[in-house]
Order: sequence, then structure tokens, then C-alpha cells
Amino acid sequence: MIDIALNLIVVLVTIGVVMVTVLLHVAYLTYFERKILGWMQDRMGPMEVGYHGLLQPIADGLKLFFKEDIVPAQANKIIFTLAPILVLVPALIGFAVIPFGRDSIHIFGLTFRPYVTDINIGILYILAFASIGAYGVLWGGWASNNKYSLLGGLRSAAQVISYELSLGLAIVGVLLMAGSLSLVKITEAQGGGLLHWFILPQFVAFVIYLISAIAETNRLPFDLPEAESELVAGFFTEYSGMRFAFFFLAEYANMILVSCIATILFLGGWHAPFEALGFIPPVLWFVVKVYFFLFFYIWIRGTLPRLRYDQLMMFGWKVMIPLALANILVTSAVLYFVRV
Amino acid sequence: MVRLKRFIQQVLFLEILSGMAATFKHLFVRPITIQYPHEKRVLPNGYRGFIALLRYDDGTEKCVGCDLCEAACPSRVITVISAEVEGQPLKRYAKEYTMDMTRCVFCGLCVEACPVNALGMTKEYEYATYDKRNLKLNKEQLLTLGDRAFPVRETRVEFQHPHAAFFNVAHRGYPAK
Repeated sequence: MIDIALNLIVVLVTIGVVMVTVLLHVAYLTYFERKILGWMQDRMGPMEVGYHGLLQPIADGLKLFFKEDIVPAQANKIIFTLAPILVLVPALIGFAVIPFGRDSIHIFGLTFRPYVTDINIGILYILAFASIGAYGVLWGGWASNNKYSLLGGLRSAAQVISYELSLGLAIVGVLLMAGSLSLVKITEAQGGGLLHWFILPQFVAFVIYLISAIAETNRLPFDLPEAESELVAGFFTEYSGMRFAFFFLAEYANMILVSCIATILFLGGWHAPFEALGFIPPVLWFVVKVYFFLFFYIWIRGTLPRLRYDQLMMFGWKVMIPLALANILVTSAVLYFVRV
Repeated sequence: MVRLKRFIQQVLFLEILSGMAATFKHLFVRPITIQYPHEKRVLPNGYRGFIALLRYDDGTEKCVGCDLCEAACPSRVITVISAEVEGQPLKRYAKEYTMDMTRCVFCGLCVEACPVNALGMTKEYEYATYDKRNLKLNKEQLLTLGDRAFPVRETRVEFQHPHAAFFNVAHRGYPAK
């Protein structure tokens, strides 16, 4: 009985720590993005709240929290309310299987592991929940009873389906090499320095994954579901206050999640690139790599204009998926001959 | 050959990479932003901001109430009510002088028109207010504005008999005394 209670405490504390850390990073990712976009456009970004605008995310959060909560008169109220939750929960729940570091922490005889759980279908679990997130977007678009929202929702559904295929297929190459779906095992399979990371043998998959991940998270240059200049704000045109904040949080949480997966699958998770740099804590390596990807997404956003819809679909179906399939074929063939 | 080159360029995302190089370079370009309420631009001389009434070094008003500024003003900002100086029937001054700054276009024609250089253009431009009636300035306000913006005053020169002068000032090119 005490064992179960202690286990529960350990799990709850781990979940709490992971959630708080992720939400904090989500909040500061918005600051990070605004600053970097500003610098890229020869501006300064937020400067007013706190030293160099460091308290800006807190001010924004407070503002959104105290805003009036508006539900349009013609909207379907139940689905309108459910949609933001359905978007945010899958985005946060994916972090349960991400291994953030190597070492467990021992306090008072309790063992805190650097991940919430290590299930043997980790990557499948994340992909499944990512697909559920698309429902939230679609519901939000439909329930608002607004033509722009509906168009945004439809676009999002089409885009997520098209790019999830190439995303999933790009991952298969890595799974073949690691021989496991568990993210912990995949990380451990890449130990021993830079040359063992999957980015080298799976470079094509890496590029496909990066591109599809941008499309998955509805970010520029694939942000057609919320294209401001065409659809006002797409599926969250009618949302305000806390509900809007949920969509916003979900977008950035998804960005971090996708970067975490990219880190684990291709950049060796918490492994240091060289044995000599092993003295730096593994968690730090993980964070550095994740921020590299986050910076990359912001960089892409600062550089590229939005794609046209037919270009997006053509690129997804005619370029990405054949390439991903070819990558699987080559990887499995090579692995078959090497292993036998 | 050209098609092959283009194909390779497309596959390697060369154009996107060059674009990304450009944005990356701009990460290190100093922003030209001026953090406005905290740091302000240095305005050039001759900037046409708020209009102010000036005084001589002994504290007397320069304005002689001649109404020329009112006549010159294209948007009818200025209203002058002129009056005699008591006991000196040849001298006049502005009893009331109001400027409705909500209408002012800052053309500077009143300053040009003034024969005694009683008007000056300050470098003040922050006149946002919650009540636009605050922008209707009377003589006192205009004089305080002038005191603040022009701390160095012109010396007053009596060049004629006090009862004989219309303008109580030395003109440029006019013999002093």
C-alpha cells in the first residue's frame, strides 16, 4: 500500500515538473520567437515589460486570462468549448514519453526518472495523439460558424493528413535502425558520439521530417490554416481570451514536442556529440538541441513566404511521400544485407 | 545542362538556403529603432513645433498686438485682442492672445509675419492630451511655453522717445537710438 502511494507521489511529481517546465518553455518560446524575428527584421522585439521585455510572456498571459470570454451567438457552444481543450491536451500529453536526460535523481529513497513513462510504443503514441489534435482544429473551425474558420479547419485537416503520412514514413527509417519504438531505446541506440547519430545515415528522412513537422504544427511557410491575409486567423478567428490562449499554447507546445522528437530521433537525444564533452549534463545537451530546432523553425518563419495551397499539396504528395518511401526501401535493404 | 543545374539547385534548396543566410546576417545588424519615450531624436534647428510667445530680457512681452499673425494664419488659429498700454497712447499690446492648436498646421507663417519677432517655433511636439480643450492656449500658457523653450532672450532697446514709437523694438537695419 505504501509502495503504491510512494509510486504515485513519484509519478505525480514527475508529471508536475515536466508540465511546469514545458509550459514555462512554451511561454518563453513566444518571447524567443518575437525577439529573433525582430532582430532578423532589424527591429528590437519586445523591450518594455521588464529588462529587455523579459516579463512580456507573463504580461501576455495575464492579459489573455482576464479578457472577456466571447462565444458567438450562432456557434455550437459545446463543440466550440471543447475544441481548444482537444487541441491543447494532445499537445501536452505527448511529453509523457520524451526522455529528457540520462540520470535518474534519488531523493529520500525515491527514484525520479527523467521521463514520465517509457512505453514500448512511444513514438506511435505521440503520432496518435498528434492526429487527435487535428480534430480539435477541425471542430474549432466548424463550431465557430464562420466561413473563414471553416476554411481554415478544412485546410488544416487536409494538410495534417497529407504531411502526417510523410512524417510517419520518415520516422520508419529511424525505427528500422534502432529496432524499437520506445524513445528511450532509440536514444540509447545512438550513443557514442556524433557519428552514431541517425542524422548521418538518415539524412533524407531528417529533411523530410523537418519539413513535415513544420506543416504538422501549422507554422510558416505552411501556415495555410491560419493564413492572416486570406482567412483573418483561420480556425481561431472567433476565439478570444483564454480559449485563444489554449490554441496558442497548443501551437507552441506542438513546436517544442516536434523539436524534442527530432532531437531524439536524429540528433541522439541527450547524448553529447563527443565523448570529451560528456561532463556537461545530458539534460543540457537535450535542451540545446531542442532549442537549435526551435531556432530553425523561427529562422524559416523569418525567411520564407507562405506557400500556395496547390503547391503545398503537390509538394506533400508528389515529392515528400515518394522520397520517404524510397528512403524506407533503401534503409531496409541495406540493413537486411548488413545484419545478415 | 541548365535544367540539370536547376534540378540540383532545387533538390539542395539552394535558393532557400541563400535566403536563410540573408536573414541570419540580419540577426547581427544593429536595429535602427529609437526607443521613443525613453530616448528621443535630436531635432534639427528650424523644426516647427509648438508656437510660443517671447519676452525681452527685462521680462516685458514682445508682442505689440498688431494682428498681423492673425491675418497671416491660413487656418485661423490665432485670435488677438489688441489694447493700448495705459498712459502711453502710442504703445499697444495684446490684451488677449489665444491659439487653437487643434487647427494649427505648423506652417510658420505667423512667425514670418511678426514684425517684432514676438513669436517663435519651439521643438515641442508631444501635445497628446485627453481633452482637446487643453490645446486652446491662452497668452499665459504661450508665454510660459516661450520661457521654457527660449531661455536666451533678446535685449530690449529703446531707440526713440517712448511716446513716439509704435514698435518698441530695434529693427534689423534700423539705427539704434
